Amino acid sequence: MNNFSELEGELKKLRPARVSAELVSRIERALADAGQAADNIILTESRPSGSDFRISWLGLGLGLAAAATFLILARVDSRPGDKTKQTTLASAAPTLEQKAAALPNYQPTGLTQVVYGRHDEGLVFPRGATGPSRRVWTAKRETLRWRDRETGAQLSVSYPAEEVTLIPVSGQ
Amino acid sequence: MENAVTHEDWKVCFSELAPGLVLFARQWVRSAADAEDVVQEAFVRFWRRNLSIKNRALLYAAVRSAALDLIRRDNRRARREVEVFADAERTVQPQFEQLDDSQRELVAALDRLPRDQREVLVMKIWNELTFAEIGEALGISQSTAASRYRYGLENLKKTLRPNDQADAAASASIL
Repeated sequence: MNNFSELEGELKKLRPARVSAELVSRIERALADAGQAADNIILTESRPSGSDFRISWLGLGLGLAAAATFLILARVDSRPGDKTKQTTLASAAPTLEQKAAALPNYQPTGLTQVVYGRHDEGLVFPRGATGPSRRVWTAKRETLRWRDRETGAQLSVSYPAEEVTLIPVSGQ
Repeated sequence: MENAVTHEDWKVCFSELAPGLVLFARQWVRSAADAEDVVQEAFVRFWRRNLSIKNRALLYAAVRSAALDLIRRDNRRARREVEVFADAERTVQPQFEQLDDSQRELVAALDRLPRDQREVLVMKIWNELTFAEIGEALGISQSTAASRYRYGLENLKKTLRPNDQADAAASASIL
């Protein structure tokens, strides 16, 4: 028994507000959508069951399926290469050109980006996209530098920025 | 890792956990609708990864993470829309059902607690997590979780019964 048992009892009498009935159906739909999308991209191990397959074909089929699975996993886990098209969903920072336009006498001389946080949020299925993408959140600090053409004065601005990038992945 | 329950059982699990999870999410977001969005996102993400529902610390950590993501998005949106919606009032919806006057006072005192104490209280009282689970979900030690819980209750008591504190101080000075 502690000094707070009475207070704890009073707190426990409070009943959290009920959740809306709609929430369960929303989750049900989301789980179903997720299942369908997963079915589209994740190939399960193929098991030839037809009677026209003999034992040797079964072994060959399983071998090929294992090789295909390995290749798929290798592609899904690979880092984006030159051929991968990245889509930036949101960025809190304006472009260097936009910032330079606001300072007509200043010439941009440098941009430094220091990435101090990067989090892979996993596979997502963007609306309208043909395949899944990997969503990556990046936190960075950008430093922009300008120089006045006439006086040589220098201006430096540093600010934190966040970016969410979609990197398409392919299972083919 | 396989889930301990089948996919047909998620409704049973969810209906037991949902009120507490939504209340937990409400510690960061103001509206019930936002809290439900947060819980939906976290639960779906959690379930799709086939994590064991018995790992409650991970589930609450997922809700917390989704809530923080929402705040981050909201902050960005707020910066863009600050001029347009400067005068807009945010509606605070009740977090608990059918309150009498003393309970309303209790909830108001709870709302005034520091967030780190309040979230531990919510996890302990209405979600029945152990201090070990709370520590795991919040990334703090078990003893820190227990301390925050105790400080939270002390602060609540001070707010609700200031006379008790004064009486205790008077008794101490007489002795």
